Amino acid sequence: MNTVSLDTARPAVAAGKAPVLSVEHLCKTYPVGGGLFKAPRPLRAVDDVCLTVQRGETLGIVGESGSGKTTLSWMMLGLLRPSSGEMAVEGRPIASFDRLEIARKIQPIFQDPYSSLNPRQTIGEIVGAPLAVHRVGDAAQRARLVREIMDKVGLPARFAHAYPSQMSGGQRQRVAIARALVLKPEIVVCDEPTSALDVSVQAQILNLLKDLRQELGLTYVFVSHDLGVVEYISDRVAVMYMGRVVETGKASRLMSAPRHPYTQALMGSILTPDPALGLPELHLGRGFPDPLNAPSGCHHHPRCPEAPDICRTTAPSQRHDEQGMVECHLRGGAPAQVISWKTGT
Amino acid sequence: MSAHSQPLLQVDGLSVEMDVAAGQLRAVSDVSFEVGSGRTFCLVGESGCGKTMTSLALMQLLPRKARLSARRILFEGRDLARMPPREVARLRGDRMGMIFQDPMTALNPVYTIGDQLAEVYVRHRRASRKQARERAVELLERVGIMSAGQRLAQYPHQLSGGLRQRVMIAMTLMCEPSLVIADEPTTALDVTVQVQILQLLKKLQAEMGMAIILITHNLGVVARMADDVAVMYGGRIVESGSPAQVFGRASHPYTRGLMACMPTRGEAGPGQRLGSIPGTVPSLVGELQGCAFRNRCAHAGDDCGHGVIAMRDAGGGHHYRCVLAAGAESGRHAVQEALQ
Repeated sequence: MNTVSLDTARPAVAAGKAPVLSVEHLCKTYPVGGGLFKAPRPLRAVDDVCLTVQRGETLGIVGESGSGKTTLSWMMLGLLRPSSGEMAVEGRPIASFDRLEIARKIQPIFQDPYSSLNPRQTIGEIVGAPLAVHRVGDAAQRARLVREIMDKVGLPARFAHAYPSQMSGGQRQRVAIARALVLKPEIVVCDEPTSALDVSVQAQILNLLKDLRQELGLTYVFVSHDLGVVEYISDRVAVMYMGRVVETGKASRLMSAPRHPYTQALMGSILTPDPALGLPELHLGRGFPDPLNAPSGCHHHPRCPEAPDICRTTAPSQRHDEQGMVECHLRGGAPAQVISWKTGT
Repeated sequence: MSAHSQPLLQVDGLSVEMDVAAGQLRAVSDVSFEVGSGRTFCLVGESGCGKTMTSLALMQLLPRKARLSARRILFEGRDLARMPPREVARLRGDRMGMIFQDPMTALNPVYTIGDQLAEVYVRHRRASRKQARERAVELLERVGIMSAGQRLAQYPHQLSGGLRQRVMIAMTLMCEPSLVIADEPTTALDVTVQVQILQLLKKLQAEMGMAIILITHNLGVVARMADDVAVMYGGRIVESGSPAQVFGRASHPYTRGLMACMPTRGEAGPGQRLGSIPGTVPSLVGELQGCAFRNRCAHAGDDCGHGVIAMRDAGGGHHYRCVLAAGAESGRHAVQEALQ
């Protein structure tokens, strides 16, 4: 039964395992171009995405720029309204939450700690701002909570009176983490939290995020293009391509035995520091396809090394099994209903 | 490199100093290295280690407030350090070219690709516009851009990041330089595009025989690309050698720390932690005594705080700047075990 809840497309039905965050058939379409007599064209940034995240789990989302991973994370944060589809937090539809309620459940950590912190506020003010907005306690209690969370993320108390400009990139990212955690949220959505940092500092921040998850029982959605980082921190990974989730699975399985040709190319492009190996051969056609003129059939077929004719004409259906989900004609195109009928309750 | 009697580039005692509000900042201190023709030399380090300043110093594109000093910078037998700026400008874009990290800011947004490619050729080769355009089409095809003729009329914003970087590379190679300096050429790109751009650089190097100085913080890129490596920290080279030496037998505590910070494939169980280097990069303002890494080093002792730490010879062209031979030895085994 656990294998069912590991799967992403269907809501977990096993007793007591309601996902803390679930996303069903989520779409986001932007109108692009257009004019007085010309209808704008739709750009499907996120296309029919179904995902669930269990409590205490880290779901990694990987993909190239333009694959829709940031748009998806913004919808999860309530910063963007989906065009269609459902999102639920702890089983409650997200539309029934008001802004403050949702902020108590889900908090963000952004990529660039240089632009995500107000340069005119002290660190104490920045970290304490969510508490003030939510009218938590009095000033003294708020100051105590700020001190506590700063201590947890490894910021010395003296920094409470410092400004972001006086801090290094790693320290600023710690401030962003403290601000995200001060309200004790359930879910933290991290959008490329370490890609602006140096390797040695990145390692410090990743270790910190891992420790905090353990200590505070957090659930992470971790968006990144760095597959090494995603493998390190995630339990499960979803691979996005042109707005669609094309493969999901346990992080270790996805890295060791990727199934979708695109996932295989992604994994192949990880450059480990091994001088004995040369540059990998990716077997991947050049260039990311234009999302305004999405290729017919399977969106990946122009870059796919093995695409047979069916990929040009027919969109593949999702196949679910105990290893996760894959959306590809070549990897068993059995209709999803049959599988779910077999493995369903 | 010893196979070549005269290396293409010989940098000896290069330093770059800048006056900042807090005092004098030594961005690069006494850096020496050689690059043989047709070889790939990688400068690796974190932000602020001086790797970009070193490359800008070679091209003499330093910011106005920076001062360069060097015993000599021999390039194709001529000393760049003693050359009048106008002479250096004549070499730049002709005999040596530069590929920058972000092609969006390096390319001029108000000129077409064709204009920008042709400009280099017209200026250095006194070619006609027509010849320059033909050359531009040839180069765009060589860097793998389809329908190159039509691309000439496009502006940088109409191209994807990967295409822009290909245009940047084509522009650098217009005059077939003997040396190309590539400063983080793939950092702004997606991982799959990164591999393709690196493959392109290798292919062009094999065809045209230029030497590449590749500047990056990505150890994976270094390991797969380099013939020779130098690790920089605090404005100095702290370890140098072949990739097999620097990665397989890392001897400086900083190099070993960097290696441990890399997430390793298949070793990411829930209980696994990354190695990390405590603390942050030191300020380079004022006079530095001893080893710049000692405040972050687990093995640092009294000897690390005095004078300038000398390079030690580890044999076979492998050098490292550390007084702790014994400590380095024990740590080296730990890293080797971790790698196996």
